[in-house]
Amino acid sequence: MAGAAAPSTDGKTRSNRRVAFIALSMALGMLGLGYASVPLYRIFCQVTGYNGTTRRADEAQAAAVQVTDKTVSIRFDANVERGMPWQFKPLQRTDTVTIGERDMALFWAKNDSDKVITGTASFNVEPEQAARYFNKIQCFCFTEQTLQPGEAVKMPVIYYVDPAFLNDPDNKDVEQITLSYTFHVTSTSDAKTLDHSQTGG
Amino acid sequence: MATTVPEHFQGHADHHGHADHDHKPSFFARWFMSTNHKDIGTMYLIFAIFAGIIGGAFSGMMRIELAEPGIQYLDIFARWFGATNPDFNSTLHVWNVLITAHGLIMVFFMVMPAMIGGFGNWFVPLMIGAPDMAFPRMNNISFWLTVAGFISLLCSAFVPGGTGLGAGTGWTVYAPLSTTGSPGPAVDFGIFALHLAGAGSIMGAINFITTIFNMRAPGMTMHKMPLFVWSVLVTAFLLLLSLPVLAAAITMLLTDRNFGTTFFDPSGGGDPVLYQHLFWFFGHPEVYIMILPGFGIISQIVSTFSKKPVFGYLGMAYAMVAIGVVGFIVWAHHMYATGMSVNTKMYFTAATMVIAVPTGIKIFSWIATMWGGSVEFKSPMVWAIGFIFLFTVGGVTGVVLANGGVDDVLHDTYYVVAHFHYVLSLGAVTALFAGFYYWFPKMSGRMHSEFLAHVHFWIFFIGVNMIFFPMHFLGLQGMPRRYPDYAEAYQHWNHVATIGYMVMATSLVVWLINMLYAFTAGRKAEDSYWGEGATTLEWTLTSPPPFHQFETLPVIEEAAHH
Amino acid sequence: MILGKTVRTLGEAARALGLYSVAAMAFSSTLAVSSAIAAPAASAVVPAPVASYTPLKPTPGIGMPVEGGIGLQQQFSKLGEYGEWIHDGVLMPIITVITLFVLLLIVIIAVRYNRRANPVASKTSHNTILEVVWTLVPVLVLIGIAVPSIDLIAKQYKPAPKGALTIKVTGNQWFWTYGYPDNGDFEVVSNMLNLPGQPIINNGVREVGSKPWDGPSHLEVDNRMVVPVGEPIRLQITAADVIHSFAVPSLWFKLDAVPGRINEKVLLVEKPGVYYGQCSELCGAKHGYMPIAVEALPRAQYDAWVLTHAGGVIDGQAKPAAAAAAAAPAMSPGAVATAEATEASASEATAAAE
Repeated sequence: MAGAAAPSTDGKTRSNRRVAFIALSMALGMLGLGYASVPLYRIFCQVTGYNGTTRRADEAQAAAVQVTDKTVSIRFDANVERGMPWQFKPLQRTDTVTIGERDMALFWAKNDSDKVITGTASFNVEPEQAARYFNKIQCFCFTEQTLQPGEAVKMPVIYYVDPAFLNDPDNKDVEQITLSYTFHVTSTSDAKTLDHSQTGG
Repeated sequence: MATTVPEHFQGHADHHGHADHDHKPSFFARWFMSTNHKDIGTMYLIFAIFAGIIGGAFSGMMRIELAEPGIQYLDIFARWFGATNPDFNSTLHVWNVLITAHGLIMVFFMVMPAMIGGFGNWFVPLMIGAPDMAFPRMNNISFWLTVAGFISLLCSAFVPGGTGLGAGTGWTVYAPLSTTGSPGPAVDFGIFALHLAGAGSIMGAINFITTIFNMRAPGMTMHKMPLFVWSVLVTAFLLLLSLPVLAAAITMLLTDRNFGTTFFDPSGGGDPVLYQHLFWFFGHPEVYIMILPGFGIISQIVSTFSKKPVFGYLGMAYAMVAIGVVGFIVWAHHMYATGMSVNTKMYFTAATMVIAVPTGIKIFSWIATMWGGSVEFKSPMVWAIGFIFLFTVGGVTGVVLANGGVDDVLHDTYYVVAHFHYVLSLGAVTALFAGFYYWFPKMSGRMHSEFLAHVHFWIFFIGVNMIFFPMHFLGLQGMPRRYPDYAEAYQHWNHVATIGYMVMATSLVVWLINMLYAFTAGRKAEDSYWGEGATTLEWTLTSPPPFHQFETLPVIEEAAHH
Repeated sequence: MILGKTVRTLGEAARALGLYSVAAMAFSSTLAVSSAIAAPAASAVVPAPVASYTPLKPTPGIGMPVEGGIGLQQQFSKLGEYGEWIHDGVLMPIITVITLFVLLLIVIIAVRYNRRANPVASKTSHNTILEVVWTLVPVLVLIGIAVPSIDLIAKQYKPAPKGALTIKVTGNQWFWTYGYPDNGDFEVVSNMLNLPGQPIINNGVREVGSKPWDGPSHLEVDNRMVVPVGEPIRLQITAADVIHSFAVPSLWFKLDAVPGRINEKVLLVEKPGVYYGQCSELCGAKHGYMPIAVEALPRAQYDAWVLTHAGGVIDGQAKPAAAAAAAAPAMSPGAVATAEATEASASEATAAAE
């Protein structure tokens, strides 16, 4: 190649190809890791509560939890993505719950537009370190919510705070846990175009 | 301890009348289908200079706008980019296009092509005694992919990108500003540009790794390789491992933008902060990709002009390896303000500070190389010493920024701008000029004017310090970056910085005059024009080296002394 | 253009009204034990009570950048004072000494080891002790830096104490809104004041310099974020569209506003005054024109400010004057009692639904 008159051209070429192949495999491996990071990140957040990701528990798990005599204050927060013609509010700002005991919070949403709109809620918990102890048994955020024009609904969240919360030194000073939701127009919904025209200005 | 001194080996050069059997292809075949590492290196350098002039012009446009508060010139620039009668938002959008283009051009189309594509291509094969790169045709593809990427990026400036023409997302292309926040094809063009340049760089990295592992001349062991070769090797690995992650991240951006996926969109369960994690997993190694070859160049120059072997060769080589490795586990220090957990922030603070240790080893080793030497202050050496000082300044402000708690007040301010320009604009670019003056006569066969090179250095040194040192003050006072307009209190230092830009620009004119002089009236360069201190293999060849060198492979002997 | 702005202004006004309606609805639903959803009561929109609030006049150089300044802004929070000490007292001296040391070595080399002074170069290329020293000394210095630095991070993350006031900050392209969920859930929309002789940036708000309390250009806003002084405040920050960043340099505060989630951190302002900041994450065309102005007032004045807003409630109780002016049933019940009652009614509601 290029006039390089190396004596053992064949062996050299084969060896070069091997090194290049290994290098290429490393690059492709990193590319795969890049894509794999999306599910891995999700799993990591779910397991560790990183990013304020809450846990999901079923009825059986919830029933097995030991109820304590300690309480903690819970705050509820609701947001709507800009341009989404919904109102969305918690029906209680704060609530004091017994740790380990299941409790319910209600949110209220109303579709102010004259279109059918499907929304999905994203959520997180602050302070972040409390998230791994925050278990939801039932939540409107588990599924998409569709509201007819002008329709209003109350939406429940059933949750409990794991008693292990009390033993975590990171949560020693946590007096209040905030559960926050943000409603977004589900991408498949036809309202997505509508909302872009409003956010431009 | 190594028993050999790697900077000192002898190559059997092939001085035997190469001119008569040095077959050069025709002009088109030579420059458009080139497979010759030196020709490709030259093309990379010319391309980098061209891209650098455009990127530098953009920074000039930004500095003139920032000379005083208010918006004075952006509407004029908007018209240059083809906007007719721009409204206030599209005028402001031009600013975001300028910062985005300046960042992307300087990173992907100036520093990287010049360092790795230019000097790497030219001197890695020469320094290890190889006839060419391992895959000469892939080398050619790498170059033209980079050019195609650059053209794609320039195209993006003329198509809609949300509030105006062009991509105005910053070089970091954060979602959701880059997805739902920027309708129009401009950002797609920008992402495509990164794909092309990234693919070119990954191919280049594979090529360098293969060349350095497989094509070394007999006797050239890994621990005898010149430090510049070591630096390119580490850089190639960083490219190989980090660029695919960027490719994955921006491909996901592309599908989020165009095909309804929600990787980074909370409406579908995605997280915009994940994009930042992926970007900076690439982005932090990327800053070492830009500076490591510079470290290599400085090591060669310091050794040459001190007439001493590099102090602590193994420490220097492995410090670069350490910087490369640690560079992969500190990325989230770019994201201290995103709302990360306390333990994460503490970890990244501690890990980031660790980088100061290998970096310190490098700085002190360069000084120890000069210590006791017989130092000749030729132009490359003056630039190299300038580099050591400026890089120290940029490095210590890096230690300040590493502290997650302190970053709460400095993050995304001009302090950060000052820091990364001290290590990149003043660091990497100073290293590039040092390397340029060091090797220009070797590449061209003509000597430049030493006087003009010194004048260039001093004007440049004063200019860049005038631009970037006051930015520390602006940052400490709280001026956020990426602002076209600012409160009156920030005027003083902004004004100084704009004057500094003009000083710096003047120095570049001196540089171009010097080049003109070299090509028209420059003395013919000898083989080893820097004298006895220059000991690597490229100095055993003519200036310029023959079209095909080392047709008989050089044999590296054990160093006689030490 | 003008039409577009008008439409947007109307839209925002409508949205603001809507928010108050929902708040009223939330409280009034305590009475209605029914699964039927009542339409928000339009009657909840009430005229603002007589204002007993005059914006503070900012002190030049306090809470804002200083012309030609070269250091950090003066700090007005405990964390800020600590951080300032770490920067000015620990980091700056260390980095200055290191830089000057490197410079000194270079000067010595230039003088002693130039070609004329030292024609024959030594061949020393190793010195194990020296190499160990310049590895270990930086390690020790870094540990010295890390101790206060890690401590500062730990302090920054200390959660808010019991009963801390919560304020909600939302970043929008290109303005901020401040919600006061503990004070009746009203919302303040905060736009930058226009600059004389510059293009109109916002929806016809007043220009800088038109009122005696107007602060510095590019930093002053029409409606400031008013907070009580000397109290830990739980700031919850989010964004409605793209990422923004809420930053106030003189309070040592910076936290990104990320759409789809809230970020939380405690803010404590030690002294009454106005503290300015700016959006610190690129968010589109007018990124440079969405400043932040935090006005810290003593509790009594803060309460008075709260009551100037329709729906403003103090400690779950609307003040008599305000209550009279408001005359809305929604304003009377205590917040905690409300929450409990709501839950009771709500569980029945879901029971019915199930």
